[in-house]
Amino acid sequence: MTKSIARLPGYIFLTIFAIFSLFPLYFMAVSATNTSKDVLASRLIPGGNLINNFKALTAAQDLGSALWYSALYAVGITVLALIICSIAGYGFEIFHSKGKDFLMSILLLAMMIPFAAIMIPLFQMFAKFSMVNSAWAVILPAISTPFLIMLFRQSSRNFPHEIIEAARIDGLGELSIFTRIYMPTMKATYAAAAVITFMTAWNNFLWPKVILIKNEYQTMPMLVSNLSAGYVTDFGVLMLAVLIASLPAMIVFLALQRSFAEGMTGAIK
Amino acid sequence: MKPSKKALAIALPVLLALGACGTGDGGGGETSGTGGGGTGGGEASNELTVWTWDPAFNIYAMQEAEKVYQKDHPDFKLNIVETPWDDLQTKLTTLAQSQSYDELPDIFLMQNNAYQKNVANYPELFTDITGSGINFADFPESVTAYSTVDGKNYGVPFDAGTAIGAYRTDLLEEAGLKIDDFTDIDYAKFIELGKQIKDKTGKPLLSGQAGSSDTIMMMLQSAGASLFDDAGKPTITNNDALLKSIDTYKQMVDAGIFLEVNSWDEYVATIVNGDVAGTINGVWIAGTIQTAKDQSGKWNITNLPKLDGVANATNYSANGGSSWGVSSNANVELAQDFLKSTFAGSKELYDTILPASGAVANWIPAGSSDVYKQPQEFFGGQPVFEKVVEFGTKVPKNNTGAYYYEGRDAVSAAITQIIQGADPAGALEEAQKNVEFAMN
Repeated sequence: MTKSIARLPGYIFLTIFAIFSLFPLYFMAVSATNTSKDVLASRLIPGGNLINNFKALTAAQDLGSALWYSALYAVGITVLALIICSIAGYGFEIFHSKGKDFLMSILLLAMMIPFAAIMIPLFQMFAKFSMVNSAWAVILPAISTPFLIMLFRQSSRNFPHEIIEAARIDGLGELSIFTRIYMPTMKATYAAAAVITFMTAWNNFLWPKVILIKNEYQTMPMLVSNLSAGYVTDFGVLMLAVLIASLPAMIVFLALQRSFAEGMTGAIK
Repeated sequence: MKPSKKALAIALPVLLALGACGTGDGGGGETSGTGGGGTGGGEASNELTVWTWDPAFNIYAMQEAEKVYQKDHPDFKLNIVETPWDDLQTKLTTLAQSQSYDELPDIFLMQNNAYQKNVANYPELFTDITGSGINFADFPESVTAYSTVDGKNYGVPFDAGTAIGAYRTDLLEEAGLKIDDFTDIDYAKFIELGKQIKDKTGKPLLSGQAGSSDTIMMMLQSAGASLFDDAGKPTITNNDALLKSIDTYKQMVDAGIFLEVNSWDEYVATIVNGDVAGTINGVWIAGTIQTAKDQSGKWNITNLPKLDGVANATNYSANGGSSWGVSSNANVELAQDFLKSTFAGSKELYDTILPASGAVANWIPAGSSDVYKQPQEFFGGQPVFEKVVEFGTKVPKNNTGAYYYEGRDAVSAAITQIIQGADPAGALEEAQKNVEFAMN
């Protein structure tokens, strides 16, 4: 009894912060059902304008196409990035080589270069290969990131090397060791990496905007950007678009939440 | 054994990465197949690609222009790519810096205030259209000046940024005032009227974003003044018009008749929610005002107050607006002929887009059309658009300079300090230094 009373201030504190962090989500969801004027007047209860907002949104923008391309890029990037970075992280940790720590530090240094600095040479490169306006121009630059390699390398530290030795003695090939022993063991890390990569890819704006020139290939963040570019912004429609744009990332996060926490702390089961 | 393991560890990611590229030819085919790369001058000889933003305004106007041009050129086709202004600027900068000019569209829309800077920094993006046969004298000089560099024209003005003073007649009435009391006045009178309204209705006359210098820039242009001299050097210090503008602005804020808010959205909210008795901005603000349907019939427009004691002060100014540029990658002949026959030559086009989108023409001949004379119910039956075209011809021209945005940002920072009580001369001197630094 006394214990729960002692905890009370903590709960109050947490409740206040939960409200603070949930309120923007609530306001977004409620605003999606209100008219622009109601949104501007900060109406906090759901309205009846959801269908009108949806009609206005689909009339002005190709919502289906934007969702499809956003999903295509995000899933493509996530799958490829997970495969490539996990192999790299595994390789860095398990195999021995004199140069690997030096190579890793170069990779980590690369993390510090802001994207804006490499955008123009990157564009030149893709223009040279006539790959402007293609899905691969969006996917390729994102499939190998120093951060993911580092994440997999750190997690591999806890991976018992004895298993690998045992598997080798039993005659399992290196590739099979990776796919049949390492990958199933590291599920939590894969989940954490998937959440991070998917959310980054889904929200990615600058590079797709620059490299994709045709309207047809636009993604959800671009669609949202289009909605607020005019002289008159319909805030109800805008909020609905933002809500739709945030849902997939939320779903992915909630689905992998438990593994995400485990993966980030490096737990192995 | 050992080297092969190492080789495998290195080779696998590489192979996978290459594999990803390989399937790109097949899998990517469905997404990139129709594209085939360039969009600009690359396509069919009767097709033009345009980058612009806002489906309700610029894009709509372009679609109508396409229809007008198709009457004489049935095979003509426009490919409009929706690109918000900020992103459009990013793309132009990227293409210019990576020298990938063949990715440029034929025509792009550019904010008037950004023209000088873009032409100065990236002249390779533009085609000089001085000799295109477009009669630039059909546009107000103050507007063509934005897109004219060294006597050469680089843009066809489209959307008018002509400034209006829009006021709630019902609130004016409560204070015993009429719209005529706000016509052809100076700021001293304006502040007096503002106090009267504040006393009677409790509402400020104007609102605006704190830290934004839009209002100051409009005041400056109304006297033909600018932050730069003709040679492009910043003239933020020892600039009487600027000092007077900032002083006027501060008086309005201190008197509570100019409500400073934190963001653009809040500014829009003050108008739509009826928290202010009026606003001063480019005519395009009329679109926002009209979203408050419950205020229909309660608005009137008139010209601006003028600065007192400043040489060449007028009651007219501008904020924003944009012009069509022809890119260096364009099908120049077709692009020029298209613009000449539509935005610089078709009353029919302007007659169509005005009622539907409120896009007021800069093209002076359009203003004489009957469509412009129509009374606007929302604005208490005033022929708003005819008035705006007339205002537009009276706006003094000023020099935006290649470093307009840098100048504006520096002055914005100075204004924030001055409002908080800093000495104007000192704050502006700092602004001058910041702009000079940015220019070096």
